[in-house]
Amino acid sequence: MKITINKEEAKFLVRIADTSLILGQRMAEMCSKGPYLEEDIAMSNASLDLFGRAEEMYKIISKIEGNQFSEDDYVFHRNEREYYNIKLVEQPNVDFAWTMVRQYFYDVYAKEVYTQLLQFENSEVKGLAEKVLKEIKYSHSKSKNWLYRLGLGTEESNNRLQIAVDHLLKYVSELFNWDDLDKKYFINCDQIETQWNTEIDSVFEEINIKRKEVPPLSMRDCRDGFHSEHMGHLLSIMQYLPRAYPDAKW
Amino acid sequence: MDKFEEAFNKIIEKDRKVEPRDWMPEKYRQTNIRQISQHAHSEIIGMQPEGNWLLRAPSLRSKQVLLAKIQDEAGHGLYLYSVAETLGISRQEMIAQLQSGEAKYSSIFNYPTVSWADIGAVGWLVDGAAIVNQVSLQRTSYGPYSRAMVRICKEESFHQRQGYEIMCSMAFGTAEQKEMAQDALNRFWEPALMMFGPHDSDSVHKGQSMEWKIKRESNDHLRQRFIDRTVPQAQYLGLTIPDDQLKFNEETQHWETGPFNWDEFWNVVKGNGPCNQERIDHHIAAHKDNEWVREAAAAYAAKTELEVA
Repeated sequence: MKITINKEEAKFLVRIADTSLILGQRMAEMCSKGPYLEEDIAMSNASLDLFGRAEEMYKIISKIEGNQFSEDDYVFHRNEREYYNIKLVEQPNVDFAWTMVRQYFYDVYAKEVYTQLLQFENSEVKGLAEKVLKEIKYSHSKSKNWLYRLGLGTEESNNRLQIAVDHLLKYVSELFNWDDLDKKYFINCDQIETQWNTEIDSVFEEINIKRKEVPPLSMRDCRDGFHSEHMGHLLSIMQYLPRAYPDAKW
Repeated sequence: MDKFEEAFNKIIEKDRKVEPRDWMPEKYRQTNIRQISQHAHSEIIGMQPEGNWLLRAPSLRSKQVLLAKIQDEAGHGLYLYSVAETLGISRQEMIAQLQSGEAKYSSIFNYPTVSWADIGAVGWLVDGAAIVNQVSLQRTSYGPYSRAMVRICKEESFHQRQGYEIMCSMAFGTAEQKEMAQDALNRFWEPALMMFGPHDSDSVHKGQSMEWKIKRESNDHLRQRFIDRTVPQAQYLGLTIPDDQLKFNEETQHWETGPFNWDEFWNVVKGNGPCNQERIDHHIAAHKDNEWVREAAAAYAAKTELEVA
């Protein structure tokens, strides 16, 4: 099955859907691995929100594309180079600090992204954005709280947080490499970047975390379907069943 | 008999509920702690065999349903730990007992889930067996446990339907899918029946628990109810129950099974099942790997409380 996405609007939206999906999959890995039961349940919740968000967006994309493919087709039958999520969300759960920094970086970004989608022409996208923003508001306050706990908790937690931040910052500049599609559909690309930087800088200052200079990176862009090495492994696990049994219905 | 014991006996006799503030015999307290914490641990360890397929669920829908189900189980575990805490034991103590092997959990979770059909079989058979037991426990004499069961049963029946739905799509799917469904039933049937525990003639905890109305119906009685309910469901799926002595007794109107392999049951309970070590190791690893997170949260809480004060 060769999945195609032809309409510009769909090509733009699939980036957002893919980002939710892949982060949902990463968060699902944390099930039964939380620091305590309450947090385990909370991480499953976050994952459920992200999958739900992705599913609804794929449905909208499918409609825009004339119902050629189902939401499951988009999820289970595209190869690595046909995925357009930001690389940040495919980074692994090295420890709890990585999980929370990745989530917080995403939440701050997604908050502005979905706020701008409230002005989207397609009313279904608008409706979805309204619902998603409620989820993000909660997720954002939760991930931010964890950054405070880890940053200001113990020396060890501050160190681990700093390491996670240093690694994950590498994948942030890509968020703001706006192309023509972004510029066409976002109301104000620069504002997404400004908002992100303003919040991160002010929080980092309060929690005793340094934001190191990230040099210009020779890294190909997610908008062209380029990913880190982690992505292939993630997809091969996620897509295994429908690929191994192409005739089966689940 | 002093007046406290008399009051306690009266509660049991009148079929009322024992509440945390009430006096109770030490053995009643201990039996409840043992049973409730074992139940809580089962919910928590049970997350693992299902979690084994979470990342490989074959559709967005099945992924979300499975995740929600595992999350429910975590919630049940949390709820049951809280119930046990009303009897004077802390969650930390219970978790330490689980990790040291002092406390048990349902032996069924020591079996591996090796195909997607196993996720169906676990929901259908394991949750199905659990519900039969838990419905009966809604009438248990310890109030908080009884109320927990009422709430938990509502979610469990959804879990069983979810499992049966997977079995339907597998059994009515391609030849390969049907084969996976049959294979899952072959492996989970007998362990699911043994979840009800030893035969009444061999059950060590039976007598006193029944008298105190902690347990309301016998193992064999509950097991029979499950068998009678489940055999027609397997027939509807077109699957064969792996028991060549299985037959319907027209007189009693019950399904009769062949003998179970109790040697295997006890061997798995003793720790020699396929995944006993893996389940506990996983739990310990998650606990240890995150010790620094709990310390950080505690340190932060202590600091911010000072600031507030």
